[in-house]
Amino acid sequence: MSLRVLNPNAEVLNKSAALHMNINAAKGLQDVLKSNLGPKGTIKMLVGGAGDIKLTKDGNTLLKEMQIQNPTAIMIARTAVAQDDISGDGTTSTVIFIGELMKQSERYIDEGMHPRVLVDGFEIAKRATLQFLEKFKTPVVMGNEPDKEILKMVARTTLRTKLYEALADQLTDIVVNGVLCIWKPEEALDLFMVEIMHMRQKFDVDTRLVEGLVLDHGSRHPDMKRRAENCHILTCNVSLEYDKSEINAGFFYSNAEQREAMVAAERQQVDERVRKIIELKNKVCSGNDNNFVVINQKGIDPPSLDLLARAGIIALRRAKRRNMERLVLACGGEAVNSVDDLTPDSLGWAGLVYEHIIGEEKYTFVENVKNPHSCTILIKGPNDHTIAQIKDAVRDGLRAVKNTIEDEAVVLGAGAFEVAARQYLVNEVKKTVQGRAQLGVEAFADSLLVVPKTLAENSGLDTQDVIIALKGEHDRGNVVGLNQHSGDPIDPQMEGIFDNYSVKRQIINSGPVIASQLLLVDEVIRAGRNMRKPN
Amino acid sequence: MASPLPLGQLHNNFRRTIAMIQETLHVLQTKRTVSALKLLHIAVAGAILRTVNSDGPTSKHTTSFLDELLGLASDPESDPVFKNPYLNMDGLYRSGETQQGILTYSPRLVSVDFQGSLGSMSSRGTLYSDGSFAPSDVVTWTGGVSTQAFEPHKKNLFLQSLYEEEQENCTTMSGTNSGKNDSRREIQDKDIVECLDNNVQFWTDYSKVHYHPQSLYELSGLWMDAQEFNNYGIGKDAFAEGFRGEEIRERLRFFVEECDHIQGFQFVVDDSGGFSAVAAEFLENIADEYTNTPVLLYAARGPGSHMSVRSRKQTIFKELHDAVSFSRLAPFSKLIVPIGLPFLSTSKASTFLHFKDEKPYHCSAVYAAALHSACIPFQMEPVGPSADSGDVSGAMDVNGLIQMLAGQARQNMVSILDVSMPAPALNGKQGGQSLLGSLQPLTPDVAKDVEDLQAVESMTVHGALGSGGHYALIPEVKDTVRAMYEQARTRPMFCHLSVARSPLPIPLPFPSIFGNHVGQRGELLGSPVSGSSSRGSLDVHSVPMAVRLRSSSAALPYIENRLGNLRRFGIERGAPGAELLRNWGFGKDELDDMGETLSKMVMTLDPHSQMSSDSD
Repeated sequence: MSLRVLNPNAEVLNKSAALHMNINAAKGLQDVLKSNLGPKGTIKMLVGGAGDIKLTKDGNTLLKEMQIQNPTAIMIARTAVAQDDISGDGTTSTVIFIGELMKQSERYIDEGMHPRVLVDGFEIAKRATLQFLEKFKTPVVMGNEPDKEILKMVARTTLRTKLYEALADQLTDIVVNGVLCIWKPEEALDLFMVEIMHMRQKFDVDTRLVEGLVLDHGSRHPDMKRRAENCHILTCNVSLEYDKSEINAGFFYSNAEQREAMVAAERQQVDERVRKIIELKNKVCSGNDNNFVVINQKGIDPPSLDLLARAGIIALRRAKRRNMERLVLACGGEAVNSVDDLTPDSLGWAGLVYEHIIGEEKYTFVENVKNPHSCTILIKGPNDHTIAQIKDAVRDGLRAVKNTIEDEAVVLGAGAFEVAARQYLVNEVKKTVQGRAQLGVEAFADSLLVVPKTLAENSGLDTQDVIIALKGEHDRGNVVGLNQHSGDPIDPQMEGIFDNYSVKRQIINSGPVIASQLLLVDEVIRAGRNMRKPN
Repeated sequence: MASPLPLGQLHNNFRRTIAMIQETLHVLQTKRTVSALKLLHIAVAGAILRTVNSDGPTSKHTTSFLDELLGLASDPESDPVFKNPYLNMDGLYRSGETQQGILTYSPRLVSVDFQGSLGSMSSRGTLYSDGSFAPSDVVTWTGGVSTQAFEPHKKNLFLQSLYEEEQENCTTMSGTNSGKNDSRREIQDKDIVECLDNNVQFWTDYSKVHYHPQSLYELSGLWMDAQEFNNYGIGKDAFAEGFRGEEIRERLRFFVEECDHIQGFQFVVDDSGGFSAVAAEFLENIADEYTNTPVLLYAARGPGSHMSVRSRKQTIFKELHDAVSFSRLAPFSKLIVPIGLPFLSTSKASTFLHFKDEKPYHCSAVYAAALHSACIPFQMEPVGPSADSGDVSGAMDVNGLIQMLAGQARQNMVSILDVSMPAPALNGKQGGQSLLGSLQPLTPDVAKDVEDLQAVESMTVHGALGSGGHYALIPEVKDTVRAMYEQARTRPMFCHLSVARSPLPIPLPFPSIFGNHVGQRGELLGSPVSGSSSRGSLDVHSVPMAVRLRSSSAALPYIENRLGNLRRFGIERGAPGAELLRNWGFGKDELDDMGETLSKMVMTLDPHSQMSSDSD
């Protein structure tokens, strides 16, 4: 081999060895993630080198936490994680689908088939499956008011794969209401407008939806009120601290008095800004018992806090940038960048603002707002693991609801789509294909079955029995999925099991692309490191 | 973890807190006028936030020093010179409280690193952990639990002894060591030092500080190690991908929100690999979010990053990376201090040191010591320009330093870091070196013997030994330095001097890097001590230090090299690295901008430079 001459350290794997390295890596990754899938999967506990524990049921989180070294596995993992970035779910499905495509291909390749032919078959099957998906999907009409029931069903399907049933059902309402809170017809959904906040306190079932905002900080002055009703909210991005760096003449004073005088002069500018805020407060709060709250994105230093506290104003500093937007959506008013043209119109309103302290952590609740278009899902749990679990689930749930609204369609779940698509490919598409590419279509079709197979396996059911039963029902024209408890076919529509259309489409799209790339690898050349070492 | 641990921490933190309260009380007494409420403000007024972003261990040493200082200050038997009410750690450290009401004291620090880079330390620290966890505690899932355990990292002797100490403290609850205890400890300490010298793998192996859960951030889902994550292009998306950027920003915000008045950010980054791109993105965010808060950037790298370069292709790769990363980092900071000599152990800065370049544990200790000393002026309590206390003088905040070095007439933002470790005694008889002559650069590519009439310097001397071998008084140091400058051949336009009497303490985990001419208090001995060739924390308990940040045209070669390489390998027609830069995602416009940034920097130092004018 010529490369040996160029670099004696380079390691070269020839065609079949390279192929098997890829296939084994894909199968290995599939094995790790397989047991995660579905409402009967296992939760994974990762114990790190320092003995710290991470618990996850989410394929995306699991992949990120694993220190993968095999280059093929990394490639698959990247695809799967990208899948999550795009559609918010389906990481596990992507990995096991790619793994299964490789596994099915291995059978044919070992019998002497050229990978190129298989890949051609994959391409045909992929296009046919996508077309089939268009026919198979269940359209959902959004109109002026989204169908809450269907949104709940989609959210519940996702949440039940991450949390136990009772908690999943509780969160279903929270998630759907959260999205509907920020939903406006004719406008793109921005899920960032649903804040996810957590408190290490109480129990998982105390998780709730706050119509308003929860901030993860409090006022920094002992004399400010901890609880106030009927509050005007000023959302601003104005520096209320004495900023030395604005001036350049740090050194040109000759005595202490001169220095003091200079500091005082600079200080005045800041005080002026504070005074304008206090003026506005006096304007809107005189003669009634309303309160005034300033939430600032920039800093507020102690002298300014002092002035504000004396005027009876509650002030929070260094608010999250996103909270500026959220506050305006939740409370009304506008975010101001300068105190020069303050008017009562720029103020928002909240019925109740109060502070909650746990240890060194402070939380400020802005509640009882009118017509909120932003809200907070407040996660509670006794420990960090519980919180992380719920957070993963909530993110997925939100994405599932968002996808449904944007897709205006859902797909029947519980493996129903996969079985139906497989039957369609085998019974209809295969006939139309000339020559050996048929086998590629067949391999693709069989690979689709990995979803119901894994669901059955994770539920402790006999895979063969389940698949035969499902195929039989489909051949009789009934669209059915798998009942995870009994192993019998069920109608997903009746059970309310729906998956996201865009997630399914993305999996069908990206799986074969990666599998094809890996199958067509001729030779693996790597200078330096040993790739045969176990990872 | 066993349950007694929090109690042990209680004690430790209790000690730390006492030290802190003592300090603030001192302030109260000397200032006399301040009210009790004001007291709190002073405590945090000096807030400095140190943002670390590095896969090198440099910055982690510095936190160790602070911790050691705190420990020494609270130990009643230690040398009184360490008890320095005017050096206030609260700028760098925060005090907090866990949910169980246990007081904590941890650095204001955000560190970003690879996943798995924390060794035997949990990324959430141990302070706030909620104790043991069993699989049966999984409350969110009724299905099965499968466990995947990585090979556990064993705690080394040093960490074991820390742990034991905490346990011991909680049973005896007394801070003084009995003599018997000491002798037992002595033997163990030797083993610890040996163990550290040979087996340090992670920076956490020698860190004795407790970190806040918000401090240590790991980049998960990169699936790369330092070998692969080695260039600007590969790190470009690492910050923004997924929720990473958002999460890192949130952590920074957590620490900033606590600060009553933030002085600035000190940002340490290992700029030899992909982390420089992560840092550039992060810095851009900081510049955007905290517009007026100054950023002091230390671009540090270990000697190893210079060594492995072999082929021409790799050289081009390396040079382009250096040029790109410098020109991307510079615009988002106010002052940039490049640190990292290609061959530190044989450089002049290491005259009295003895160690090997291959060990990051050793090299980073030198850099960390220098950085620690350089930021001492930020921790001094400002007492006005004329009235100096007996222990410190020359207080300055981050903004003050930046204004002085980078803001004066010339606006040069690249500073050179010089160090003298250990600093020679003021009378200059020991070791035959004067203080000024012993200051040697840690910044690479620095021109020697440059006469620059516009140079500006900030020098910090602490723990300097005077005649008779005791710690020199403040005026003594000031006069000596002034006299030395008057005799010197080249003189800067302006020099700011900060002096503290307390030397740099050498804590136990400090590596054995001192040569055999260094005595117990860091004095330079006339003849070598017999025994081993390198001395560590057991033999040397503290060292006097002098460091100098200098804004001078001596830094010109550093910038010119980068500009030259960028043009030669990246911008010129048919440049060999053009393709590479395209792969890193840089278009022609961006490259031209970078070139312009660099040539402007050259121009500020040398208006007549050939390089600064675009010759086409």
